[in-house]
Amino acid sequence: MNSSHPFTGLMAGLRPNRLVIAGLIGLFIGLAGLSAQAEEVELAKAEKDCLACHDKEGVKKTLQNGEVLSMRISTKAYVESMHKENSCEDCHADLDAKTHGKVKSDIKSKRDFTVSQGDVCKECHKKKYAQYDDSVHAALIKEGSKKAPLCSDCHNPHTVQSVKLVQPIEATPCVKCHEPIFKAYSKDVHGLERVAKGKSAPLCSDCHQAHDVKAASLGEGVKDTCIGCHKEALAQHADWLPNTGRHFAAISCPACHAPNAQRRVNLRLFDGATNAQISEKSGVPQFARLANDADAKGMGLDERALWSLLKEFSQEGADNKTVLRGRLEVRSGVEAHQLSEKSKALKDCNVCHKEGASPFQSVTLTIAGPDGRPLRHGVQTAVLSSLTSMDSVRGFYAIGSTRIKLLDILLVLVVAGAVCVPLGHMTIKRLFKGVRERLEAERLAAQHAAAAGAPQPDETAPK
Amino acid sequence: MKKLYIHPLPVRIWHWTNAVGFVLLILSGLQIRYLDLFQWVTFRTAVVAHNWIGFVLIANFFIWLGFYLFSDKIKVYHPELSPTKYFQASFKQIQFYGYGIFRGEPNPHHPSAYRKFNPLQSMMYQIIMMMLVPAQFFTGLLLWDVARFSSIVEALGGLRVVDTVHVLLFIVFSGFIVVHVYLASLGHTPSAHFKAMLTGYEEIEDEEEHH
Repeated sequence: MNSSHPFTGLMAGLRPNRLVIAGLIGLFIGLAGLSAQAEEVELAKAEKDCLACHDKEGVKKTLQNGEVLSMRISTKAYVESMHKENSCEDCHADLDAKTHGKVKSDIKSKRDFTVSQGDVCKECHKKKYAQYDDSVHAALIKEGSKKAPLCSDCHNPHTVQSVKLVQPIEATPCVKCHEPIFKAYSKDVHGLERVAKGKSAPLCSDCHQAHDVKAASLGEGVKDTCIGCHKEALAQHADWLPNTGRHFAAISCPACHAPNAQRRVNLRLFDGATNAQISEKSGVPQFARLANDADAKGMGLDERALWSLLKEFSQEGADNKTVLRGRLEVRSGVEAHQLSEKSKALKDCNVCHKEGASPFQSVTLTIAGPDGRPLRHGVQTAVLSSLTSMDSVRGFYAIGSTRIKLLDILLVLVVAGAVCVPLGHMTIKRLFKGVRERLEAERLAAQHAAAAGAPQPDETAPK
Repeated sequence: MKKLYIHPLPVRIWHWTNAVGFVLLILSGLQIRYLDLFQWVTFRTAVVAHNWIGFVLIANFFIWLGFYLFSDKIKVYHPELSPTKYFQASFKQIQFYGYGIFRGEPNPHHPSAYRKFNPLQSMMYQIIMMMLVPAQFFTGLLLWDVARFSSIVEALGGLRVVDTVHVLLFIVFSGFIVVHVYLASLGHTPSAHFKAMLTGYEEIEDEEEHH
C-alpha cells in the first residue's frame, strides 16, 4: 500500500484517541441531523395539495341525511400524529382526483362513512383489528348496533397519538359512551391514583383491553386482570380469609372492594362438560323465549321454572348438561368502578353469612348474548334456600345465608326428638318406680323362699 | 360386683377427645350455620376453630382405627353373622330398653372385654364409625378448602350437595350425642358407664344376683 495516498496520509497523521473522538463527533452530528429531520416532517407534494384545501376553516360536507361532516384536517395535528408518515392516499385510495370535490356526496350519514372506512385500518393494523373483531364492540356492530364504536370513533386517524401520551384521563375515548362509569372511576381508588401518580394506576383499557374488550360481567377476564397487577392478593387474603380460593372463584373483586355497592347473585349458565359459559346463538333468541315462557307472571323464575329451563338448555346442548355457576357481584358497572382503598374493603363475614344478608336478596340468571353482552332474567330469591333447587343451583352456596330451610326444620325435629325421647323414657321409668320396687321385693322374697326351701348341700350329698 | 377392664387407655383417650371435639364442632357449626342466632365468637374464629378441631378429630379417628386394627380388641366390633341370632338378641335388647328396664329386669347383654357392645350398640357404632364419621370428616375436608378439592366436589354433585350431606350428618350427630349421654346413664347406677369410660373398668353385676 502506498503511504503517500492522501486519505491514508491523513489517517496516519491522527493518533488513535483523536480518531475515536473524531468518530464520535461525526456520529453525534449525524444523529442530530436525523433527529431534526424527524421533528420537521416534510410532507410530500400530494399531501400538501390535499391539506391546502382541507386545512381551511369551514371545509365541510352535507351528507344525505342532513348531517354536516367537517372535512377540516389540521396540518399541525397531522404532522404530530402517528400517521404522519402515511400518505392521504394510503387510506383514501377510493377517491378519484378527477371527480373529488366536484360531485355531490353519496355518503348517507357520518356513521355510514365511519363504517365504510372500517376496513382501511385493517390493512396496516391486522393484529389489533383481529382483536377488535373478537370484541363486544364488533359483536354489537354485527348485530346491527348504530352506536358501538369503530376504529375511528376512538382513534381520530388524522390526529391519532400514541396511547402512551394520552393525558389527562378524560382524553380516553371510552368516556364518550361510558361517561357514568368513567365518572365513578375518576373518583375511585384507581382514578384518583391515576391522576396523582400517572401510569402506575390503571385506565379503562388496562383492565378491559382496548381492542378485545369483553362484557365485564361475563367470564373471568377482569378478575384475572385485577390479580395481574395485585399478584399478592391471593396470598394476602389467605392470611385471614378461610376458603380463599372459593371466595375468589365465587365473588367478584368489587363485591367487597366497593363497600357501598349493592350486590346480587348472578347465576350463569355453563356447559357442564366443557366448562364454558353458554352463549345465546345469533338469530335464535332461545334464552329470552324460554325464560319468559317459564316465568309467565314475570315474578322471577322459581325453583321449578329454573329446573325446566336448565333441562331445555341441556337438551339443546346435545350430550352436555347445562349447569349454573353462581357468582356474587355488584349490580351495575358504575358500582364496579367505585373501588375503595384497601382498608375500607369489606372484611366483615356477617355481611354475607347471616340469614337474610342483603347480597342474596337479588338473584339474576345470565347468559352471554349473541352481541357479547349479558342477557338476564330475574330469579326468585327462594331458589337459594330451597331443597328442590339443590341440583339447579348446586354450584352456588353461601354458608348461613343460603341454607336450605328444610334442613333447619329437620334439625329442630331431631334435637327435639333426641331430648323428648329420653325425657319420656325417664318419666316412664320414674312412674314405674313403685312397680320395680314391688317386683324387686317379690324377686328377693322368691329367692329367699327358694333358698330356705332348697335342700342343703350336705343333706343332699351322698353318704 | 366385679370389675372388668373393657375400655383400654387408647380407646378412652380417643373417646373423650372425640366427645369434647364433637361438642365443640357442634357448637361452632351451629354458629357458622346460624350466625343470626348464635354469636359466641366472631364468625371467622368459629370457622377457623371448626377447621382445626376437625383436623384434630380426623387424626384422633386414626388413633381409634389404628388401635383396633392392630389389637385383638377389634373383636368387639365383629358382627354377629347369623341374622336370626342377631335379630333375636337385638329384639331382646329393644325389649329391655322399652319395657324390661321399667320393671327392673336385668340387662340381657353381659359385657366382657371382647363383647362390650350389646347388639344395638354393635350395629350402631359400626355404622357411625365406619360410615357416618368418615363421611363427615370427608365432607368437612372438602368444605375446608373447596377450591382445592373442586373436582371432587363437582363429581359429588356440587358444593350444595356436599354441604347438605355435612349438615345432615351434623343433625344426626347432634341427636346422637343427646341420646348417647342418656343411654350412658342407664347403667346399674346413672354414673356407672361414665366412670367406666374414665377408669376403663366396668362394674359388672354378678351372675348370681340376676337369678
